Amino acid sequence: MDEDLVPQTVRVEAIRQETPDVRSLRLVFEDPEFGREFSFQPGQFCLISVYGVGEAVFCISSPPAWKDFIEVSVKEAGKVTAAIHDLDVGDRVGFRGPYGNSFPYETMQGRTIVFVGGGIGLAPLRPLIWQTLSDRAKFKDIHIIYGARTVKDIVYKEELAEWQKRDDVKLVKTVDPGGEDETWDGEVGLVPSVLEEVNPPADSLLVTCGPPVMIKFTYVSANKLGFKPSDVITTLEMKMKCGVGLCGRCNIGSRYVCTDGPVFNFEEILSLPDEF
Amino acid sequence: MSEQNLFEAPAGWLKSAVDALLSDGVEVVAPVGAEDGTVDLAPVSSSGAITLEYLNVNQPLKRLFFPQTEVLIEFERQDDGDIDVKSQSAPPEEEMVVFGCRPCDTAALDVLDKVFAWDYDDLRYRERRERATIVAFACTGPDPQCFCVPVGGSPHGSQGSDVLVFTRDDGSALLEVNTPKGEKLMERLGAVARPAQPDSGLPDVPDIHTGFDPEKIKLWLDDNFENEFWAGASLMCVGCGSCTYLCPTCHCFDIVDEGIWNRGERRRNWDSCSFGQFTAHASGHNPRPDQAARYRQRVMHKFKYFPERFGLVACVGCGRCLRACGVGQNLVSVLHDIEKT
Repeated sequence: MDEDLVPQTVRVEAIRQETPDVRSLRLVFEDPEFGREFSFQPGQFCLISVYGVGEAVFCISSPPAWKDFIEVSVKEAGKVTAAIHDLDVGDRVGFRGPYGNSFPYETMQGRTIVFVGGGIGLAPLRPLIWQTLSDRAKFKDIHIIYGARTVKDIVYKEELAEWQKRDDVKLVKTVDPGGEDETWDGEVGLVPSVLEEVNPPADSLLVTCGPPVMIKFTYVSANKLGFKPSDVITTLEMKMKCGVGLCGRCNIGSRYVCTDGPVFNFEEILSLPDEF
Repeated sequence: MSEQNLFEAPAGWLKSAVDALLSDGVEVVAPVGAEDGTVDLAPVSSSGAITLEYLNVNQPLKRLFFPQTEVLIEFERQDDGDIDVKSQSAPPEEEMVVFGCRPCDTAALDVLDKVFAWDYDDLRYRERRERATIVAFACTGPDPQCFCVPVGGSPHGSQGSDVLVFTRDDGSALLEVNTPKGEKLMERLGAVARPAQPDSGLPDVPDIHTGFDPEKIKLWLDDNFENEFWAGASLMCVGCGSCTYLCPTCHCFDIVDEGIWNRGERRRNWDSCSFGQFTAHASGHNPRPDQAARYRQRVMHKFKYFPERFGLVACVGCGRCLRACGVGQNLVSVLHDIEKT
């Protein structure tokens, strides 16, 4: 790993417009040796920088098995994300990472897995979903519950369609009330309520990511369904600058989200002060 | 380390030591007075520039190892539109000897050393630390804002210094050597100081009149993240960040790009948990939305989170935050209030 906060250079190889305000970028390392040796685990994050504008944190949204490139999905929200949205294929940006812990993949095996994603929150779950599907025999049932505010805000549409077609995946998609249109063939309702309707067995492992309020209510619903706090896993997002446990802003209590996280289970989260 | 760790130096020793080091090409950093009456550590080119008239240096020692601003990379847009990126070279490797910092500031290096190596080995910080030998001056006259003792320090504390100097009124001094780096420096200085007689006692430690019990404070902090106390305790705070910039243990930083149309640099700059933008997300969400939450973070970090994580309080009692605060926000009063509840 780097020791000097200096980024690698990556080149934008492809851009996919996911929604009106979310783009996925496919990035290739300029140093081929670094690219060959680069490895990460689902759940880890990186910092992408547009030179002259700044750095921002994103989860790596492609699975480790997709070699020769990585992907990040970026929702336009601030200065750096706006600059990322202005990038063209061929542009060079900075990359630091991978940083942080990862989803507890080994201990997930042998169980039913329930993925619960909201909006752009499907991005960190995506590499884990693909990894799980490539090891499909190692798991019992796989549920994917995905919700977005409106039909237009749904990310990874082709992949959702592909997962929906599979016999070995139970996928339910939903949009918030009022977000449906005449083409919509999914549910209408908030993600936590849909989770309660799906009613997965309480001995499953639930992995969730979405807006903070959705994560909080997903836990409430999971709790109602009988899930243990340690069986509800999420990945937290905080403002970060260094990504490596130095710069001092992502802490919740004495835990650094960048190095102790970003992946936590709710047993851990409930022991932290309510400051995220 | 050898048994002999106490040396006797005659009046004028500092001038001889500094001149000898300068003529050897060693960078010497020492207390220098400014026109406004403040004294700060700065590189000197002759011993004549050094002053010994100060309670403590104005800015904390940390800035020599973790500067207020530093360049991480430089970038420039080329004619073909591509960006050329240059990593800023590592800090200079020449030896540096720092004279005149106080025991509170050297104790703070213990805190910073832990932060900058606990998980990510920060190359820039480590290289600057490695090249420096620190000759601290023991305190003779602490002021009412000094509170090193309750946070585990002492006006004569040797934590973090390679050599600790006890200056007598006549200008002569006892030099206590605490590390192999300090030993090396004494060898180099040769005749400037000679081994002290075994009966050379150290001067009495001056009194520090402020007292509180950090363990008792932590017990209260453990149970009172949510408490109206924080709103009251932070009422005066205007969030200027002075206390954090002047704090010898505060180490939060920002990474920002600064540039003009075709070139620029990425810098690491000191930042402060007192600022609202410090934790504000691009979405508008802010986990620490008001000054009460931000002041609570500052107290919690120093007296609860840091001890939990690294086993020591992240405050060395230098008193700068008390002296510098423009509105009289007083950490010691807040800690006393916590102790009384």
